[in-house]
Amino acid sequence: MNILYGVLILLGLGVLLAVGIVLFSKIFYVKEDPRIDDVAKMLPGINCGACGKAGCRDLAEGLVKGEIKKVSQCKAGKKDKNYDPIIEYLSNHPDEDGTTHIPTI
Amino acid sequence: MSYLVAFLLAIISSTLIDNVVLSRFYGICSFIGVGNKTKSSIGMGLAVTFVTVFATIICWPIYNFLLIPAEIPYMDTVVFILVIASLVQIVGYFIKKKSPSLYKTLGIYLPLITTNCAVLGVVQGNTDSGLDFGMSVANALGTSIGFFIVIFLFACIRERLEGYKVPKALKGVPIALFVAGLMAMAFLGLQGVAG
Repeated sequence: MNILYGVLILLGLGVLLAVGIVLFSKIFYVKEDPRIDDVAKMLPGINCGACGKAGCRDLAEGLVKGEIKKVSQCKAGKKDKNYDPIIEYLSNHPDEDGTTHIPTI
Repeated sequence: MSYLVAFLLAIISSTLIDNVVLSRFYGICSFIGVGNKTKSSIGMGLAVTFVTVFATIICWPIYNFLLIPAEIPYMDTVVFILVIASLVQIVGYFIKKKSPSLYKTLGIYLPLITTNCAVLGVVQGNTDSGLDFGMSVANALGTSIGFFIVIFLFACIRERLEGYKVPKALKGVPIALFVAGLMAMAFLGLQGVAG
């Protein structure tokens, strides 16, 4: 019986906190460049940190903004699986003002 | 009246005498990691203060009115981590919205507040030693103010250190560890101020 109570209490807390987080993420929503998410999806997504960034999403942001010039900074990536699609994607999707930051391999 | 005095004394004692970083060695990760710029150290201090105080305010009733009546107090660590992680996430959203530059400087250390043992240590310590709600909040407030003061002082010293000639092998983190050790010795002198 005790175990059931424990499970129910933890379940309740988890749901309550999850609802809280979702609410706050809606209240404090920050508009971001949608391309960052797209590029992040093309990276391996293992957040190894070998590129020197805090994670794959951080590297994707650097690539989109043109701060990072070489895709091969992502050590875990493969040429045909990760590098080529990112380069192709970034050459087809320019900034709002029309400039493109196309990284090389 | 005497409770108020005890409240203030608890704050002072956990701020200075029992300092969380320098005499209990909690929260060293973010102390070393973020304590190199005064601006980011202030942001970190504020974020940790917020998370610690609110985690205590939420966790104390959960422990005493939910876990103990249900006879599952051994689940406390799991529940506390859950609450702390959610709070950190919320603080993260808040900082990202209000100050993107601070969000950038805190970087990976912001989500790492979740695993900052200072936060869990305070919450766990409060319930383990059976403090009442007021004292728990006082302890949380004092500990996080102590963290704030020490990380800020540490950042000030490290910013000054950048202009000095340091032997090559000691540049960066090693000399920072020396500084932390000296600060710990200085804070040892405060022990015994209030009995």
